[in-house]
Parts: sequence; C-alpha cells; structure tokens
Amino acid sequence: MANNKIYWSGLDELEGTEAYQSVQGQEFPESQSVDEFISDERHSSSTTGRRDFLKFMGFSLTAATLAACETPVIKSIPYVNKPEDVTPGVANYYASTYYDGFDYANILVKTREGRPIFVKGNKASGKAKANTRVIGSVMGLYDSARLQGPMKGNDVVSWADLDAAVAASADEGRTVVLSNTVLSPSLNKAIDTLGAEHVQYDAVSHNALRAAQSSFGVDAVPSYDFSKAEVVVSIAADFLGSFLTSDYDADYSSLRNPEGDKHSKHFQFESTMSLTGTNADVRTMVSPSEEGKVAAGILSVLNSGSVSGLEEGVANAVKSAAAALKAASGRSIIVAGSNDDDIQTIVAAINQKLGNYGSTIDLSNPSLAYQGDDAAVASLVADMNAGKVSTLIIHGCNPAYDLPNAGEFISGLAKVKTSVCTNGLADETASRCTYIAPDHHYLEGWNDLSLNAGKIDIAQPAIQPLFDTRSAGSSILTWAGAEQTDWYSYIRTNYNGSYTSANMYSDVNWNRAVHDGTFTIDAASQAPDYSATVNVASALQNVAKRSGGAMQLSTYVKGAMGVGNHVANPILQETPDPVSKITWDNYVTMSRSDMENLGLNTYLGQADAASVVKVTSNGVSVELPAFMQPGQKQGTISIALGYGRGANGENIGKAAYQTGENGETLSLESGLPMPIGANAFPFTSGANYDVQVEKIGAEYSLASTQMHGTAMGRDSVVKETTLAAFLSEADKPKGEASWNKAPGLNVHEDVNHDGVIDSRDKKSTNAFDLWHSHAVEEVGHRWGMSIDLTKCTGCSACVTACHIENNVPVVGKDEVLRHRDMHWMRIDRYYSSDYSLEKGAEEGVGVISSYAKMEDPSVNPQTVHMPMMCQHCNHAPCETVCPVAATTHSNEGLNQMTYNRCIGTRYCANNCPYKVRRFNWFNYKGHGKFQNFNPAADSLTRLVLNPDVTVRARGVMEKCSMCVQRIQEGKLDAKKANSAIKDGAISTACAESCPANAITFGDLNDKASQVRTISENNRSYHALEEIGVKPNIFYMTKVRNVDTH
Amino acid sequence: MKRNHSLKLIATAVFTLITLQFSSVSAQSIWEGGDVENGQSLFNANCASCHKVTDEVLAAPGLGGLKDRWSTSDDLLVKWIQNPQEAAESGDKYIKSIVDRYVGTYGWMAGQAVNADEIKDILAYVQNPPNMDATAGDDSLSEQCPTVDYSTDDSNEASSTLWFVLLFILFVIIAVSASGVKRSLTDHIAERDGGELLPDSSYLQRFKAWAWNNLVFVSLIGLFIVAYGVTVGYQALMGIGIYDNYSPEQPVAFIHSVHACENEIDCKYCHNSAYDSKHAGIPTTNVCMNCHKAIKKGKRTGEEEIAKIYAAIGFDPATGTYVDGDGNNGHSLPQASFVGEPLKWNKVHNLPDHVFFSHQQHVSVGGLQCQNCHGDVATYSVGRIAPVEEINGLVDKFPGLIQLSKPTLTMGWCIECHNKAEVDMAENGYYDEMHNRLKTTLRGNEELRRYLEDEKITVKELGGWECSKCHY
Repeated sequence: MANNKIYWSGLDELEGTEAYQSVQGQEFPESQSVDEFISDERHSSSTTGRRDFLKFMGFSLTAATLAACETPVIKSIPYVNKPEDVTPGVANYYASTYYDGFDYANILVKTREGRPIFVKGNKASGKAKANTRVIGSVMGLYDSARLQGPMKGNDVVSWADLDAAVAASADEGRTVVLSNTVLSPSLNKAIDTLGAEHVQYDAVSHNALRAAQSSFGVDAVPSYDFSKAEVVVSIAADFLGSFLTSDYDADYSSLRNPEGDKHSKHFQFESTMSLTGTNADVRTMVSPSEEGKVAAGILSVLNSGSVSGLEEGVANAVKSAAAALKAASGRSIIVAGSNDDDIQTIVAAINQKLGNYGSTIDLSNPSLAYQGDDAAVASLVADMNAGKVSTLIIHGCNPAYDLPNAGEFISGLAKVKTSVCTNGLADETASRCTYIAPDHHYLEGWNDLSLNAGKIDIAQPAIQPLFDTRSAGSSILTWAGAEQTDWYSYIRTNYNGSYTSANMYSDVNWNRAVHDGTFTIDAASQAPDYSATVNVASALQNVAKRSGGAMQLSTYVKGAMGVGNHVANPILQETPDPVSKITWDNYVTMSRSDMENLGLNTYLGQADAASVVKVTSNGVSVELPAFMQPGQKQGTISIALGYGRGANGENIGKAAYQTGENGETLSLESGLPMPIGANAFPFTSGANYDVQVEKIGAEYSLASTQMHGTAMGRDSVVKETTLAAFLSEADKPKGEASWNKAPGLNVHEDVNHDGVIDSRDKKSTNAFDLWHSHAVEEVGHRWGMSIDLTKCTGCSACVTACHIENNVPVVGKDEVLRHRDMHWMRIDRYYSSDYSLEKGAEEGVGVISSYAKMEDPSVNPQTVHMPMMCQHCNHAPCETVCPVAATTHSNEGLNQMTYNRCIGTRYCANNCPYKVRRFNWFNYKGHGKFQNFNPAADSLTRLVLNPDVTVRARGVMEKCSMCVQRIQEGKLDAKKANSAIKDGAISTACAESCPANAITFGDLNDKASQVRTISENNRSYHALEEIGVKPNIFYMTKVRNVDTH
Repeated sequence: MKRNHSLKLIATAVFTLITLQFSSVSAQSIWEGGDVENGQSLFNANCASCHKVTDEVLAAPGLGGLKDRWSTSDDLLVKWIQNPQEAAESGDKYIKSIVDRYVGTYGWMAGQAVNADEIKDILAYVQNPPNMDATAGDDSLSEQCPTVDYSTDDSNEASSTLWFVLLFILFVIIAVSASGVKRSLTDHIAERDGGELLPDSSYLQRFKAWAWNNLVFVSLIGLFIVAYGVTVGYQALMGIGIYDNYSPEQPVAFIHSVHACENEIDCKYCHNSAYDSKHAGIPTTNVCMNCHKAIKKGKRTGEEEIAKIYAAIGFDPATGTYVDGDGNNGHSLPQASFVGEPLKWNKVHNLPDHVFFSHQQHVSVGGLQCQNCHGDVATYSVGRIAPVEEINGLVDKFPGLIQLSKPTLTMGWCIECHNKAEVDMAENGYYDEMHNRLKTTLRGNEELRRYLEDEKITVKELGGWECSKCHY
C-alpha cells in the first residue's frame, strides 16, 4: 500500500494549524454589536471624520484588490510510490458496511485521492440502504476530537503499556466485556477467546419484542418484509425512521405505488407525530397508556369481540384497522414500538392469528441485531457497585450516557479496578475509564458483520488509519494473549475451511466478497414453531388495567440524530428534523391545547422564543423548550433521545455543544460547555404514564427551517388525492384528471366556443410565452427529475447527501434562526388544515381571516413531504433579473449559477417563486462564527469536501446545480466509451441516496428513460405550474389510501 | 540517429537469434573470439535492463571482471545464462555461492534465449566495453535538443527607465538653475540700468508664472503625461492574471528537453493520468525510478539532482536496492515503511478554484495535442507557461495546433478555443445519439441547420460557452 504520509500531501495546514488559523483570521474579531458601537459616546470626540473614513476604506479596497492579484504559490506534491489503483482526480468506490449498534447498512464509500468523501447505500448488496445518519457518518472520520492514540486517563500511553496492564488485570479477578449487540462473528469469537463474560445491551432496547418471539421458540427480533405487507398497522413504531435497524423504507415504498397492482394501507396509532405517522394513511392519536388497549382491541376484533377502554374515535379506527388486517391475512404486518412485554405479546398473537409469521414476518432467519439483555446489564451495574468486577472492557457503547441508570453505572465504574474502553472519542464512558484503547473509525478498519445468519457483510478500510488507533478486535485478541492479533488475518482465517461451503480462503473468492461487500455462508436456520400457543391472557389483563395521569410521556428517536452517536456531526445537527423542521435542538413536543392551558408560547420565530418547561417523571426531571407539534395527542408529550451529550464537558467534538451569536461555545454556570438539549435516556427505565409538566418562565430560541405548517388552501404546490379518486380516473390523459388538472389562464377569447367570453375560457399555460424558449426540448440533453410524493417519506437522506456532495456550508443554529440556512435541498412539510375558504364563507368569516385560520394545522393533520430544490425552470425568473448574467440557462436545461460572476444583488432570490436560492452571508470557511461546526473551517474536517465542487465565497448566491459535476463526469465517461449515456448511469446525490426510490433523475430527451416515462404519467405536475416557468422537475401527485373498502 | 541505429541492430539480433536457435555450437573457450559489435547489440537487447558491464549494480550485479570471478566451467556459464535454475540444480559449489549471495536480493534471473555463440559475442563485449562515462553523453543529441532559455531579460528595460528618470531630474535641475541664473542676470541688468527689480517670489510662484506664459507648451506636456499614465495603468491592469513565462524554481532542476526530446519519452509516460483524470499529474517518484534505477548520473546535473529522487523514495544507488524504515537496504521494491521527504513541486499552471478543467476531456475526447496549451515543452527546462504567440509559432512543427490570440490560461483564451475548435464526432456513439435526436425533431433540425451554417460544429455550438461547463 501507499506510504501513509501521502494522504496528507495537500495539507500543509495540518501541521501548522494554529499558524494557519491566524492567517485565516476573523473577519469581525470584535464581538461588539453595531448598536453598542454607535451609542458609544467616545465616538463624538473622535478625530476621524466621515471623509477620512471613506478615504481609509478606499485605500483598503485598492490595497486588497492589488493584493489579490498576486500569484499564489501552490505546492503540488505527487505520490512517492503511487498505489496502483489510485489516480488523482478519479474517484474510487469501496463496498463496506456500517454498523454502530443502532443503524446497519451496506454502503459504498466514495474516495478521492484516498480520502472518503461520500457514503451511499450499496444497491448491489442486500436491501439495506443508507439512511440520513449513515450518509452523514463520513464526517465522523474527520472529527478533530477523535483520540489520536491510546490513553490512560488524560495521559498518552503506549499500546504496549496499555496491553500489559489490561492483560494483567484480565488474568485476575472477574472480567466482563460490556458491548452493544455484537454482529461481527469474528469479534464474538475473539471475545470468547478472552474467556470473559460478555454482556450486551442496546441504547434503545427491544427486549420485549424479542421476548414475545420466544413463544415460537426463537430468541431474536424478527425479520420484517414490508414489500409484501399490503396492510401495515403500527402502534407507535417509527419503522421508517428509527425502528430496529430502520431499513424498511425501500420495501415499504415499493407498495406505495398507485399504478401498481397493490397499494398498501397504513394505520398508525401513536401519541407524537413520528416520521412514520406522517406517512400513514390513517393516523390515530393514542396516549402511551392506550397502546396496549389498541393492540388488545385489534386482537379482540379479530376474535369477533369488541373494543373496550378506548374513546369512540380510536375504537372505530381500531375496528377498521382490524378489518383491513383481516382482509389481508398473511399479507400484513402489525408492529409496536414499545418495549413492553404485554403489548409485544399481544402483537405477536395478532400476527400469528393473521398468518403473517412465515410470510411477511420471518423467524427462521431472524435479525441478529438487538440481542441486548436489560436484566444482565442491570445485574452487572449492581455487581460493579458491589465491587465484584475487577476488569471491565467496554466496546461500541456509551453506558455512562445511554443507560437509564447511567448514574449508578458511573459510580460502579469507579469501583472497577481496571476499566478499558474502545470508543474513539473520550466520551462520557471512555473518559471515566482507566484506559482508552481507541478503535478505528469504521472507514479505517476491517470488520465482518452479519445481520442475518448466512450473510456476512464486510467492512473494509477506505483510508489508512488517521491516528494511532487499533481495531477493537485486535485489542481484545491482544489482551486475550492470542497468537494471531492482526484483525484482518483473524477475520480471513475465520472463513477458512469448514466455516463455509465456499472456500473463502482462496484469494479469488475473498476478493470477490470484498468487492461485493458481502458473501453468503452455510448457516443453520432457526426452526420456529409458528403454531405454538401465544399466551395473551395475562397481557390482556395488564393492558386493560393501564391508565395514565394528566400528562404522559413518550420518548422517540429523531431521524437525523439517532441515539446520540452523531451528536458532533454538524451536518446531521443541521439537517432539519423531518417532522418539526427544527435544527440543532431537542425539545418537548406538546399539543396546542396543552400548551395554551399552560400558557406557553405556541408561535416560534426569530424573536419569538419557545417557553421552557420542566418535565418530571419517576423522579427524573429535565428542562427543555416546548414545541407545538400538530398531531400530538392532547395530554401527552414526547422528548427525543440522543441529546444532552457531553454533560460533563467531555471532548466529544466542538459541534456537540451550543454556540452563541458569535460562534463561541456557550457555557453553563458551572463553566462547562453547554450541551445541546437534555438527556432523555433516564426516562426509558419504565413507563411514563404520569408526568408533571410545569412552566418555569425561561425562554429558549428554537431554530426551525419552516415556520408555517400548511399550504393554506393552495392546490398548485402539493397535489394529493385519495386512492379511490385516483383509480376512478387512472386512465385519463395527463392534465385532465380532476386530481391533477392542468392549470389554465383566463383569456379574452372564446376558447370553448360557447359564444360568451367568461371565466370558463382558459388556455393552458403552455400556450403563453413571455420569452423565446430555450432550445432544450428534444435537442441534446434535457436533465430532469421526478419526485413521487406518494413514495417520499420525508426521511431527509437526500438533504444530508446533497449537503455533503455539494460542500454546502453548515451555518449553525444562530444563522438558521435568522433563516440563513444554506441547504440546497429542503423538504417542505405541509400539514392539512380543517379550515377552508368555503368553511369561512359558511361561518361568515372574511377571506383574510379565513386564510389566517388556514395557517393553523388540524389537531391530527394529514402530512405531505415535498422535497424542494432549484426547479431548473426553462423560463427561469431568476435569470431575467440578474444584472450581471451570473445565472443563465444551459442548452441542457440546467439553470446555471456562476459564482465568479455573481455580485450578490440577491435579485434572483427575490424573484424565485420556489425560494430555493441561498446567499452566502459570510465567509463560512474563515469567519470565527463558524469555526466550531463548518466543515470547511477545520483543517481536518475539510478533507471531507468534494474536490469537484467549489467552496463558495462570501457574497454570492448558490443553489442546487442538479449535481452538474456528476452530469459532466457522466457525459465525459460516455464520450470516452463511445456510447450514448445509459439511463441511470448519471444520478444526483439526492436521487441515489433516496431509500424510497422517490426521486428519479435522467435525461428527459431520452425517450426510453425512466424519468421521461414518469414525466408523461398522469400524476406528474410542476409545482406552481400556472406561473409558466416550465421547470425541469416534476412532482407526482400524492395518493393516500384513506377510503374505506 | 544512434537510437534508430541500435534499434535496427536489435531487430537484426532478434532475427539472428531465432534463426540460430538450434544451430550447433563449436567447442571453444567462450571467453575468446566473440564479435564485440554483435555482442553489444545482444547485450543491450537481453542483459542491459539488469546488468551493467562495469562493477556497478543495476537490478543485478555488474558484470565487470566476470572472467576473473567465474571459477567454474564455461558450460555451466552458458547454462546459467540460458536457464539459471537448471544450472543451480547441477550442485556446483560456485553456482551455489552466487545463488545464496544474490537471489535473495535480486531474485532469479530469467533464462535468456541466447545460444552459445551469442554468449561468446556477449562476453566479448562485456570484456571490452566502450568508454561508458554517462556524463560524456552524445553531443549531437544535445545539439538537436537544445534547452531554450526563455527567460525574458527585462533588466535593459528597467535600466533605460532609470536613465530616463535620471535625465529628467538632471533636466529639472538645469532648468531650475538656468531660471535662477537668468533671474539673477535680469536683476543685475535691472540694477545696472536702474530699472525695477523682480518681485521676491517662491519657486512655485515663479513656475506658475512661467506656466501661464507658456500655456500651450505646458498643456501639451501635461496631456502627454496623462496619456502615458493611462496607457501604463491600462497595460498593468490588463496584465493581471496573465502569467506568461511563469516558470517558478522547482525542488529538482528537472530538464524537460533531456527527457522529452533527447530520450524521446512521451509526455504521457510521466503525465500519465492526462488520459484518465482531470489532472495530468506530476509523475510520482516511483515512475521516475523506472528509469533512474539505472540512470544514476544526469547528463548535465550529475548525481546531485537525481539524488533528490532517491532521498524521497529511499533508494540506495550504491547497491541498487531500496531502503526500508529501519535503514536496511536490499529490497527490490520501494518500502512503505521508509518515510522520506516527498518532492514538493511548485504548480505552474494555476487555475482559480472556481474553474473546473479536465485533461481527459481535452486529451482523450477532444484529441488536443499537449503543445496546444503548453507549448513545445520538449525545449524547456522546468515547466513554464508559454505565451500564446510562441504557441502559435509552433504550428509548422506541430501541424493542427489551433491558433489563438488571447493570453494563455485566461478565460478569453479558453473560450476563444471553444469557439474555434471543431468537435470530432466520428464513430462516437455519444454523438450519434445526439445527432439522432436532432435529426428526428423539427426543433432539432433547426438547431442542426444553425450549427452547420459555417459547415462545422464547434465546441461553443454544443454548449462550450456555457458557464456551468467549467464553473461549478
């Protein structure tokens, strides 16, 4: 392999960070505000007059201009001994696997000059697709807080000393390995070699789900196949966002297909508005204590009984869900998210009754994830506190943060003689251990992972380890005194000979497996007894007895943040929550009526901060701002897990802490840096059916990228219909069906030949042209995209992928609060409103007041997610107003943005009907305000930047380029291969990262292309079609399966 | 040329080789009676890539003094050359000693397809090598491949400006003194004649008075000065971003003319990613070593410059082997454990960050010659930016160069070329598909007609002037 110093060849800064930073400087080093400055009395006595000031400014301008003319001397350092497969300027892709104890995905890693810069799902290997968190995980590699070598407390120690100490300690007394669910067969084997107890736990426990399967003789969480589930009932399971290994989007979306034979129907029962809930056809609000009754009700209806203990609306929804399930026996799935034995037992019984086991739910080859044992970890914590553990090896988990009884764990850890942690950061757990033996980042090391028996996925290094880290497996083997400690050889030997039918030890097979990222081996499947009796009697009794107090609490996991593993990842922090659209924060979601009762502020804005509430349950309390969430069941609140990391000021990354108006890290009264949000894991110890919520009078600003929630009766932005309405007009040509009528403009001309010129005389917008049209249609390429609103789940993988691919700056909470977020792609989320102009007319409310009322979403609204980016209009309003022609149209249909021409008038942004243009208010890479989180501002993190995309300077506009760098590359490849561009050969970052396949990119002039076919579909429309800007982006009408049948 | 001559010889040698493959061998001492000239060509064809005729180690021990060293039978030497492994199996002690000593470091020699007669010729050559002083070189080659000194001597210009300034100061002094003399003379005359003395006034007042009296003259001078200032200022401003003749010093005094002209190494041998990547690439040190493992002495710079490559990659020229991280030599390949200081070149052709330029687009697809942008690099020492006039003048030497007028590496230059350059679409499936789309639609027909008004399709017509072809 390459000489490892080569990877640093472009990075003089790396060595002289401080010097470099000082050169970069700060634009406005003073933190004084303008108001303070002007009001300073001393200025009146100043001798510098206005004219002098202008002279100075003029001089500075000239000086700066001349200084800019100097030729910069750029060093160009070639490889010393170039690796054969690396060509500078050409990307390499490596198949690998992501697993962090919460998410699992088969991925492809894109590297440039040996640096991983982009992660995407590996479509060729398994169904697991990369979600938002996995796509963003590449940032973690370049986290400057990563440990650079083994540590003893705060001191650097050598590997040899660490190994000697740990091995000696492990030989005497009781040794325990505490880890997340280990999915690596080799690591499990290595831990066995150590001869120590192995305790596994998961941050989000699924013990109850696993226990419920034990009736069938299998101790594992099932494998669900949503691609066969025509009816899906979810009781508070966020399976599109964070349930189990959350890789169900693709299968689920494959049945969200109105043109297909089958279109699934999805019922959701939940208290807070989850991402999955926003996608449900029928969403019913139930409080956490009622979840069991919903399950019991469904089982009862299936057994021809009645629904009891639920209010009428919920009971009716339960009945219709049960009816739909029954009609789709064997082709349905019911899942529950709660870690409650009773609920999961009833759900298992329902699935059994429906015959779903063996068809949509598989226990013969179950998921191997979530093997955590809550009881074992509880007794371990007790033993630790009793001083019964002498050596504790912690791998891949952060119990000092995410155990419900983290406090007890911490006190117990202090009593363990030797504790060693393999985490790569000195996080809550690692910083309290005797030793830290940092593991490689997942992109640096080898691993084998197996989510399902028989399928081994390989994680391979995409870069040489940046620091003096070592594979955890190798560490454990060393401590076990094994002869073979090299992790790669160990893994390979593991698949030698009898372990597998294919001779993996042959180079050919192994290389094939590494290339694909996966291979199969012979493995015995489980033999579940699906006909075994599931004893639900006690469970039914238990759930019937449950009742809640005035307020109940549920915890959930946010799409971008997960369980807190990515807390220092600025791109994921800035990816808006798919539902609330809030960035950089944690909050309590509440219903409007509850907030009004408590006198809390329901309106958020730049100057309107949220009210802080104190939530207390089971003796645990947190203080968090309250956020009004439409769809939140009255009498319930919800808090996301994964926040409040680094409460003790641990060095887990600069972006993990709150920053102020000038980019400085904010401090608590104790002087420690201020964490983002509060840790809700202490609430996960049990049910929170009776919690206290009090207003404490404080205020706190929440930064949201979308303030208003509804489309306010407009029907040309989002189009939606019901499945029945769609089917009744499914054969109509495009533009004629009632749910997707082409807009017409009134003309003074008798268009319909009825002898009168009136409002019915309309012409298609295509008939009007204010400008000469561009020679785009049917000439050369016309790049276009279609987005199916029926398939789009709003998961935001595209937003993150776009952010990383296009070097979009991270601007931080303060700037988002000022609506200066830079996302090229956003997902607009619209709630339905109960109000309408018609209703207003009936009630005698004026039009303006009616619109104001239409701004309020329903109590339990229907939701639609609409990805929005530059629409690449063929009659782009931005292009005509640019005074310097910095934005122009290409003959391939792209709206081009030329940064070096832009002078920053922002005229274009004002004239854009879609509001997708972003202005660079700052020099984000150099300004002090962004040093804590903007990737381009950190000399290490900047390695993640895409070298094919300019890092924009201050004062220019930017926006979606339709990944023009990929288009240009694809065209070049085709020209070199002497062939036409194959449909699908070029893809944008958003399209290729969409787990639901909602986004299709291609050449609209290619008659055989998928995007062309879709654009001609009768569900296709342009957003704001009536204004006639002729976009190249098509949306497809959302179809909801809400009709009873 | 010598090179062609030796190529011919090699061809002949190979031919002879094939024909003589099975001919019988006369049993004489193989150390005598060989044909030196034939031996030389055989040696160059078969042996020279690993052996030198001196003591010097290349990829294998040098053959100097072979006759004195070879202490076993002649037959075994023939066998050793034809099939070393088989020779080793003979169990001969001497052979075993050389196997033990060298095979570990240099590996087995490949068996050579030479017969005993040819070996005799080779040995004759090895015993009587010509003078192999590398520095002597071949002067005729240097004459054919001069390294042109392009550095523009602007010291004359600077000194003439200095002279002008000095003359101007002198002129002012003379003028001022003359006016002073004139004034005192006038005063004296006035005093003598009893007239009125001139009023006492400062130089400035007097200059003003003089200027008013000579208004036309002063205006013309003023106009001239302003015009001069504007011209100089305009030229200075227009020169911003133009780096003609920019040729920074480099860490190694690399001479392109020696490599590309005298040794006829193709540009793409070293800048090999030009075909596959946006970067042409600066040759990596291991590429240098392909030749410099053998060529240890530069023709003009001796050992000093080449030693810098060795320092970077960890090569010990004395043993001809690579050094590892622990400082041990004897490795036949570069060692990853060796950490040296890589060569840090100064980039010559700098484009701003917001410009995307792809070599493969221009070289692989566009079929441009390197010289069209870089000039006749084979006459350079280190890299430099060739002025456009110089490149235009190369058209006789390199037919097909596109003639441009704007300064090299400016955007005007790029788009001028995009306007002039025709796109070669022959037998390219990509363009066939584009053509089909134009042919089959009304709108496409119009476009096609517009393209073909001047009977050629230029890059500009296909969108080569659009912003996001280069800026994104």
